Amino acid sequence: MRTGLSPIVSVEDVSVFFGSARAVDGVSLDVLPGEVLALVGESGSGKTTLIRAIQGLQSVSGGSIHHREKAEESKDLRSDSGVQMIFQDPTGALNPRQTVYDIVAEGLRIRREGTDEEKRVSDALARAGLRPPERFFPMYPHQISGGQRQRVVIAGAMVMNPVLLLADEPVASLDASIRGEILMLMRQLVDDTGLSILAVTHDLGLAWNIADRVAVMYLGRIVEIGTTEEILENPQHPYTRALLSVVPETRRMEQQILQGEIPDSKRIPAGCRFHPRCPLFRSGDLDETIAARCTTEDPHLTLGAGWHAACWAVDPQTK
Amino acid sequence: MTSIAMQRRRATAGRVWKQFRGSRQGMIGLTVLLIFVAMALAAPLIVDIRELNPVFARAAGNPQWAPPSEFGPLGTDHLRRSVWAQFVWGSRVSLFVGLAATVLTIFIGSVVGIVSGFVGGRLDAVMMRVTEWFLVIPFLPLAIVLASVLGRNVWNIIFVIGVTSWPSTARLVRAQVLTVKQRLFVDRSRSLGAGGFHLVGRHILPNVSGLILANATLAVPISILTETTLAFLGLGDPSSASWGKTLEEAFVNGAIVRNAWWYFLPAGLGILAVVLAFTLIGRTLEEIADPRLGQGR
Amino acid sequence: MMEADNNDRPMMGAEFILSVRDLNVTYQTTRGPVPAVRGVSFDLAAGDSLGLAGESGCGKSTIAAALLRLLPPGTTTTGEVTIDGKDLFSLSPGGLRAVRWTKEAIVFQGALHALNPVQTVGRQVCEPMLVHETESSQKAATEKGRNLFERVGLTADKLDYYPHQLSGGQRQRVLIAMALACDPDVLIADEPTTALDLMVQAQVLALIEELRRESALTLIFITHDLSVLAYVCERLAIMYAGRIVEEGRSSEVFDNPVHPYTRALAAAFPRIGDRSSRLAPSGLGGDPPTPGALPVGCPFHPRCPLAEDRCRDAEPGLRPAGPGRAAACVLV
Repeated sequence: MRTGLSPIVSVEDVSVFFGSARAVDGVSLDVLPGEVLALVGESGSGKTTLIRAIQGLQSVSGGSIHHREKAEESKDLRSDSGVQMIFQDPTGALNPRQTVYDIVAEGLRIRREGTDEEKRVSDALARAGLRPPERFFPMYPHQISGGQRQRVVIAGAMVMNPVLLLADEPVASLDASIRGEILMLMRQLVDDTGLSILAVTHDLGLAWNIADRVAVMYLGRIVEIGTTEEILENPQHPYTRALLSVVPETRRMEQQILQGEIPDSKRIPAGCRFHPRCPLFRSGDLDETIAARCTTEDPHLTLGAGWHAACWAVDPQTK
Repeated sequence: MTSIAMQRRRATAGRVWKQFRGSRQGMIGLTVLLIFVAMALAAPLIVDIRELNPVFARAAGNPQWAPPSEFGPLGTDHLRRSVWAQFVWGSRVSLFVGLAATVLTIFIGSVVGIVSGFVGGRLDAVMMRVTEWFLVIPFLPLAIVLASVLGRNVWNIIFVIGVTSWPSTARLVRAQVLTVKQRLFVDRSRSLGAGGFHLVGRHILPNVSGLILANATLAVPISILTETTLAFLGLGDPSSASWGKTLEEAFVNGAIVRNAWWYFLPAGLGILAVVLAFTLIGRTLEEIADPRLGQGR
Repeated sequence: MMEADNNDRPMMGAEFILSVRDLNVTYQTTRGPVPAVRGVSFDLAAGDSLGLAGESGCGKSTIAAALLRLLPPGTTTTGEVTIDGKDLFSLSPGGLRAVRWTKEAIVFQGALHALNPVQTVGRQVCEPMLVHETESSQKAATEKGRNLFERVGLTADKLDYYPHQLSGGQRQRVLIAMALACDPDVLIADEPTTALDLMVQAQVLALIEELRRESALTLIFITHDLSVLAYVCERLAIMYAGRIVEEGRSSEVFDNPVHPYTRALAAAFPRIGDRSSRLAPSGLGGDPPTPGALPVGCPFHPRCPLAEDRCRDAEPGLRPAGPGRAAACVLV
């Protein structure tokens, strides 16, 4: 763990409400320099809303997002080229009427960092594995393959020399054989340039492949966080345990298929938000005092380094 | 990188032209249109403009109501003027008014459509209500009122056509802007820090320009027909002889009763040919801009 | 590849509920013919389950469409598909309609688009029963629909819902209920869980497994996610460029792949807890070939880490690679 380093981004008790729907409901999270942090959750967990808020594309209803090297709190990180984004669907993320060169140079032009534009574009493309870069300059998105398109998206982000890349399901729409190549590139960028990646995904294999730490989200809240090994090899929170047990790649655990689906974020259950579906709670094996807390008190994750879970039953530090 | 931009633009133009050339209807339209444009541009070389002047015609000793067999190539009218001269010079006015009014229509329509679609919210609601208001006003009465209030000259006619026919363009452009706006690349650009002008200029406009161009070619025939209608109703510019004006004079002076087909037929066929040519070109461009349209046929 | 196939299993067409022999499908496009499926053969007995895996463009979904004769007009199809002893390609339109639904049914991906948004799901489930006359009356059909919904884990009141009122997982369950409406022998599932979340995917997979055990349903499961197939299907066929390049028992193919392509595909889905893949994602260079322009020789050779000179010369057919297994690679 890279404790002692000041975080690149600190998310403090951030909430995003859409009317009565609490999409993100009090999330705190630090992204440390040079780490890949995987934010894992199912759809409806609020993970995409959270990274849109970090990117400044979504205004927050409460809490704050602090960015390193920036004293005052910023609600609009858009003005900050240090945070860049890569997307799930590279085909949609590229304007079909622009050439690869124009796409990669776009960030520089918006920021009017026009000096040695061609060299920076060329470097970014090469860094993203598109070599020789000049060959790709005049090409249009439809003339290159899906994997190459995702590399162009990555080059368009890397050209800004970001300290943090936000990746929204970066390989979910790519073919299996290409997926590994893109993940390799992402890990390599972190190891070579020391940037950080916050990757939102439902793919636990991705976390195992590239992440240093994993945070698990359920219904607008982070319920467990720790190193990849801690979370994926020895999960403690009952939700994480259930999630891992149904990953087809892990056949060592007994399957715990949860009934139903994530509840509507307009109707978040009282007490622990997971308790109506929680196998531990439903088993009836819980200590009575703990079970009583599950239905009445909302467990909060302890902040700070190391492993934590928001569960009355498994983490004594839960508040 | 301007050379790459130039190269790219040339490549796009080349691709569009290649596709266009492959379309028979497009090429027919283009050929017909080019003939008429050439005629309009070369009018002074083809016929002396004084032929349109009744005094000159009388002095030249032209016969009255002469069929083409007596006075070539298209006969004369009640004022002894050459119908051929009216046809050639009339193409000039009709094409000019048609094109100028279309430019105005498309300009207003595109600006309203893009602003409304891109900005959205309350502004969109207000602008769309105004657009709908213009759309439901019976077009011809409004044009007649405007034309008679503003006075009968070419520029007023252009203005009248322009301000009455933009709403459909605006709605079309707005719909397209709304779909483009939701594409991920707009989000990507926004996350790079792009502002509204950048987004519209770099992402929205390039992706709706094909539609706007196709819509423009389809708006020209409507403008020409509108001009003809207004002129036929006697609201045209009395000093410039458009095809519509020819039709009106032929009608008023009893060409139909006299069976003087040579008087009204050339102007009528000219309008038909030009309108058809623009429609064919517009259809073809529309298919190129939106490949899905072509498949259905 | 047919020869290798036949050596492996004796030809006894009558035993099999579904038998595919040397299936070739060629799409006709403006740019010329595009071969999507090239010489695919397999046999399925009642209760068998076969997983078809491969990347986009490998022809796996085309096979599904061919098995239901749902290919666009103008597509050239050769080979033989026998379903319950009937030759699929020589069926009359009426016979074909009876085969669709009553003999074989399909569950599509994208549960939202496969349902009519302006009809209740109950009506959409019951309609095929009346059309195919497997149920005599509206009342009987509704009763059957109620049972079906319970079988797929939906409460009967959901019959009156419109598609948009259901969640993605519930819609997928409706599609499965629709497919089961006429008691088919063969169920073709084309990426049925691709758009679903992990937990919902697990629910749907468990449902399919349960249905299969209950009623000896024959299953063809199509997906790009090898790990799902290894879990659901007994047999696995890996496709590349329109051909089956490896087949065998699914656990063997997944755990111990022979073909270099299968190896790359299996490694793309890391085993969590497996130290060798920790912080070491595994990929494959290059891109899948375009069906219209396949490389000469083995179509995989440009991306193959083990390619030799002879791979450029001829396309290898399926050859035996252990008991019940075959692979199309010269190194086998």
